[in-house]
Amino acid sequence: MTATGEQRTREFESEALPHLDALYGLGLRLTGGDESAAQDLVQETMLRAYRAWDSFELGSNCRSWLMTILRNTFINDYRKRKSRPASVDYDEIAERPVFMDAKATDPEGKFFSRLIDREVIAAIEGLPIDFRIPLVLADVEGLGYQDIADLLEVPVGTVKSRLFRARRRLQRGLYDYAIEMGYIR
Amino acid sequence: MSEKDAGGGDPAEMISCQEALEKVYEYLDGELGAPDQDKVREHVKICRQCYPLFDFERAFLDFVREKGFAEEASGDLLERVKAIVREDG
Repeated sequence: MTATGEQRTREFESEALPHLDALYGLGLRLTGGDESAAQDLVQETMLRAYRAWDSFELGSNCRSWLMTILRNTFINDYRKRKSRPASVDYDEIAERPVFMDAKATDPEGKFFSRLIDREVIAAIEGLPIDFRIPLVLADVEGLGYQDIADLLEVPVGTVKSRLFRARRRLQRGLYDYAIEMGYIR
Repeated sequence: MSEKDAGGGDPAEMISCQEALEKVYEYLDGELGAPDQDKVREHVKICRQCYPLFDFERAFLDFVREKGFAEEASGDLLERVKAIVREDG
């Protein structure tokens, strides 16, 4: 490794490596909690980031730059595997808002805050992939509908309906869990 | 919500609860175009069936956004990434 190569590596290590846990968290959300897939994804992301390091402007937001690389890496792979038919039976999904069931006892949804972080993460990661990805992109990453549609190469209407169902499904899962655990009586 | 309860707005412009409900997330995400965003807002403002539901959904989305992003201890990943980078040169 040359002197400049050494400097480049040190720079990368001090700027990029502190974001490893954040990247791994996003990787786990996207892969549905698959630790080995998430680790591979983070490694692939870091290798790509390192190779593209000269294009990164020091002082700009390194974390969001890395998140974008990770997201694109994952989505590219997801799109390639998408020749299979839709993995979700859309008709069977209950879309009744949880509010309708909770309004008598907990109209403000206070039970949500009684759930432990780990339980919420598990519920997100447990969503079927076609629902999980739009939800993670919208609610974890904060992307808009058009950006998600562009990334996934689907119409905006598809993003809307999947996100709608994903949220209702997540909400229902958390509610059922809260009842089971006695957080709601 | 019956039309006579619609207050100041033009009753003909009022959307139904069902329409408001279908657009709840688009509305809360700020993804509706101006006319639809206004129509939903007007409806929710005066409909006592819908406003608590919209508040509930808003609380739910805030909750998911707050909890959904959590860092995870990546264990020996740090050493592995360092090795990969050093190897790559």
